[in-house]
Amino acid sequence: MSLAIPNGLDNSVEQPGQRAPLVLGDTTYHDITESVCQVAERKPSTSWVIGFLVSFALLQWLTVCILYLIYTGVGVWGNRAPIFWGWPIVNFVFWVGIGHAGTLISAILFLFRQEWRTSINRAAEAMTIFAVACAGTFPGIHVGRAWLAYWLAPYPSLNLWMWPQFRSPLLWDVFAVSTYGTVSLLFWYMGMVPDLATFRDRSKNKFRRMAYGILSLGWSGSSRHWMRYEKAYALLAAFAAPLVLSVHTIVSFDFAVSQVPGWHTTIFPPYFVAGAIFSGFAMVLTLMIPARKMLGLEKLITIRHLDNMCKIILATGSIVGLAYGTEFFIAWYGQVQEEKFAFLNRAFGPYWWAYWTMISCNVISPQLFWIKKFRTTPWIIVIISIFVNIGMWFERFVIVITSLSRDYLPSAWAYFSPTWVDWSMLIGSFGLFFTLFLLFCRLMPVINMAETKSTLAKQYHMSHSDEH
Amino acid sequence: MSDNNEKKVHGIVAEYESVDSLLNACRRVRDAGYKKTDAYTPFPVHGIDKALGIKPTVLPWIVLGCGLTGTVTALVMQIWMNSIDYPYIISGKPYISLPAFIPVAFELTVLFSSFGAFFGMWALNGLPRFSNPLFTDPRFDRVTDDRFFLYVDASDESYDEKAVREIYEQTGGEHINSVLDDDSSDKIPKPIFMAWGLVIAASVIPLLIVLKMRVTNSDQPRFHIFYDMDFSPAKDAQQGSTLFADGRAMRPDVPGTVARGDSNYDMNFMTGVDMDKLSAIDAPRAERLVRLSNGPIGPQDQDSTPAAEEGEQAANDSDSASGEAAKDTTPWLTSNPLGNSKEVLLQGEKYFGIYCSVCHGMNGGGNGLVNRRAQKILSPTWIPPSSLHQESLYSDQYPDGKLFSTISNGIRKMPGYAAQIKAEDRWAIVAYVRALQLSRNASIDLIPQSQRAEILEMQEAVQQKLLEEAEAEQQTQEAAAQE
Ligand code: HEC
Repeated sequence: MSLAIPNGLDNSVEQPGQRAPLVLGDTTYHDITESVCQVAERKPSTSWVIGFLVSFALLQWLTVCILYLIYTGVGVWGNRAPIFWGWPIVNFVFWVGIGHAGTLISAILFLFRQEWRTSINRAAEAMTIFAVACAGTFPGIHVGRAWLAYWLAPYPSLNLWMWPQFRSPLLWDVFAVSTYGTVSLLFWYMGMVPDLATFRDRSKNKFRRMAYGILSLGWSGSSRHWMRYEKAYALLAAFAAPLVLSVHTIVSFDFAVSQVPGWHTTIFPPYFVAGAIFSGFAMVLTLMIPARKMLGLEKLITIRHLDNMCKIILATGSIVGLAYGTEFFIAWYGQVQEEKFAFLNRAFGPYWWAYWTMISCNVISPQLFWIKKFRTTPWIIVIISIFVNIGMWFERFVIVITSLSRDYLPSAWAYFSPTWVDWSMLIGSFGLFFTLFLLFCRLMPVINMAETKSTLAKQYHMSHSDEH
Repeated sequence: MSDNNEKKVHGIVAEYESVDSLLNACRRVRDAGYKKTDAYTPFPVHGIDKALGIKPTVLPWIVLGCGLTGTVTALVMQIWMNSIDYPYIISGKPYISLPAFIPVAFELTVLFSSFGAFFGMWALNGLPRFSNPLFTDPRFDRVTDDRFFLYVDASDESYDEKAVREIYEQTGGEHINSVLDDDSSDKIPKPIFMAWGLVIAASVIPLLIVLKMRVTNSDQPRFHIFYDMDFSPAKDAQQGSTLFADGRAMRPDVPGTVARGDSNYDMNFMTGVDMDKLSAIDAPRAERLVRLSNGPIGPQDQDSTPAAEEGEQAANDSDSASGEAAKDTTPWLTSNPLGNSKEVLLQGEKYFGIYCSVCHGMNGGGNGLVNRRAQKILSPTWIPPSSLHQESLYSDQYPDGKLFSTISNGIRKMPGYAAQIKAEDRWAIVAYVRALQLSRNASIDLIPQSQRAEILEMQEAVQQKLLEEAEAEQQTQEAAAQE
């Protein structure tokens, strides 16, 4: 089986009347299996080992900091009156936002039949789950007495004699983020089962065979199973799509439902969701481009994939820019003195540097993607994506810190300064994220083989029907 | 094949290289009337359910059921917990405020539906299933890689091995094999089983310990993990501290602090009453006044607003004074302890202007800004401030001490000002009020000779002006009447 690719390795060029191929080269089904499985089967490369050791060390440092925090109390953070939310919440919103691209790619692009998602969705979903794990850590420890965090659950308590307060967005958040984590996990795992079966069937040693055997639940590829599987997958996708939108909407309620100037705005839900997708895609690109190079997956994760993702970044980045503008306009148009002050204070107050970092990273840098050369040059994409990630972290910083540091009571105003624990935890959360991600790269199928094969089958079918 | 003879044959399987040949074979097998068939493929092949005659799944209905369960569970849970069992009032919303319950209801609907789709799918598929006779075929490993398999089960009604083989051969099937019983054990290996059991047992232990602690009593002291959270490290008054430069835990008083009951003023000055006389005739009231001047702290004062009560008493006194019955027996101070020097009067003028004039007017006539505004908007509950020039408020009927008490504690509709105005300033106001009252009754003899002419001139001008104003008012009233 061979496919003639007219444009060599560049499939980002549009061919009138023809769909651009999503799998490149003289690829067979077996080639796909080989190229994905070799990632997990060969010996780990030096760069992987170094990367893993560094991430793992950072993870340990995070653990130490968390223990220190729990033992000493939240005073080890820079959270002081009136900025009680501080970095933990900044980091929480940052990571939750990143966790949006995976399910978005898997669910929404699936529902829209965007087939180019197939070779990137697996890693993006994994990224989602790991990002949600990072996100979940922060509110968990931010509650102060972390060992009582289970009080958030609506269980019949024998010593509280009361229930959680269901009219609070903070509680909605608990339900939204945990539902999101669970559903993403199910979605990810379910998508992986057929590929885990491939791993099982290729395993040479008994232990591997048993481990993958258990994980793949005895998958045999039966057509009856496939039929129900596809139905279940479509259903999960249909639920996950509104779920993605709901999660960041609810996270934004944490802010929008309060009275703090700069937070109390109806634009927050759509603006947060756009920002989340924006940062999520940037993170996918930041990870995927080095990974595809290191793991030798250029034929499956093609320039066309990168190009498409850059376009999404450009679109969502512009939405975010528009939202910043709208916020300012409404602050002026609404004529509420505190709101006006809050926004002027963001741009020209003591945190002006954070604000303008945010604007240049989030609004200006993605505009470079109008130029095709930038969308198709991997290293440029990586740089811009990293800028976007930095910008999105600063966006949350600007929202949380500037609004809280100067609200209605000028006598209580303060300037936030992070402590070494704040810094360690931000960096440590990247340790957690990358440890999980690198383990995933080694142990799990990084690309959805089954789906890529069916894309190939369609491509094959198409090129043959063209001949007739 | 000889040693395989005794084993049970489950069916017969063939391998295909491409989707098209598999689909073709599927159709042939279906048309030949076989029902218990299945195809195995590395990815979902579209159209194969038709080619094999597979019926659609009931999964969506299961999921719908789960989703509805989720919605109902969430709503019932929230309404029960927040509106019935433990009603919360939050921002004045009704107990059952549906909009606030939507987010959680949505999340649980999605969660339950997803569980339905996930677990329902595996259950319908009969997975996990770790032993499958097909897996005994070594070629079958490629089903998850790049090969397609077709299988016909031996228990099919019209099963005929030869005929099936024939179809397989004609449609390009390779490696046609009988599927034999799996003789390897499908039991979980012992070490894994034991390890699993151990983990489960170990994970129960902490829960059991917690449970035991919960339900039993113990004579051992409690175990404190976070000692400083259970026992605050607050210092005692006489302890040392490294926190402050002077090394003492107890902080010195803020400059100007006065201890309760330690004010420098005598009680007559603070109450406007001659306390010695009062204790002689009404000891409990005297005691109360002393206590009040120290602020309302005692348990005796907790249920009433003492200042208002004292105001009430003064009001009763003055009521009874104006009535024929009981006389005001309170031994009020009859002279101002500050005297009426020029400084005192100026001070009084200042504070009268700040605190009293808004209601009583700059001249004490009772027509201050607040009164004028209230008259203008026709406030139905408004009681006009008294004119301070009534004879009943003159010092012979209304002693200085009583005026002081009225300012301090308020009277009827008028609030007390003890909290805003210092006692000295209140006495100064008393002196100024007296001066105001005098200003309407003074004879020209009180004015020094040199200034009399000037005053008389002013008087004429004022009278002229008053006349003009009265005329103007009359005219406007007549005009209004004519209309
Ligand atoms: C908020 C408006 C207001 C202010 C300010 C106010 N008063 Fe009055 N005052 C009243 C009203 C109203 C009455 C009549 C109360 C009634 O009859 O219920 C009154 C009554 C009085 C009386 C008559 C008491 C009696 O026994 O009939 C005196 C004397 C008096 N005020 C003095 C003062 C002095 C001195 C000040 C400044 C410390 C002052 N008031 C400030 C509203 C005010």
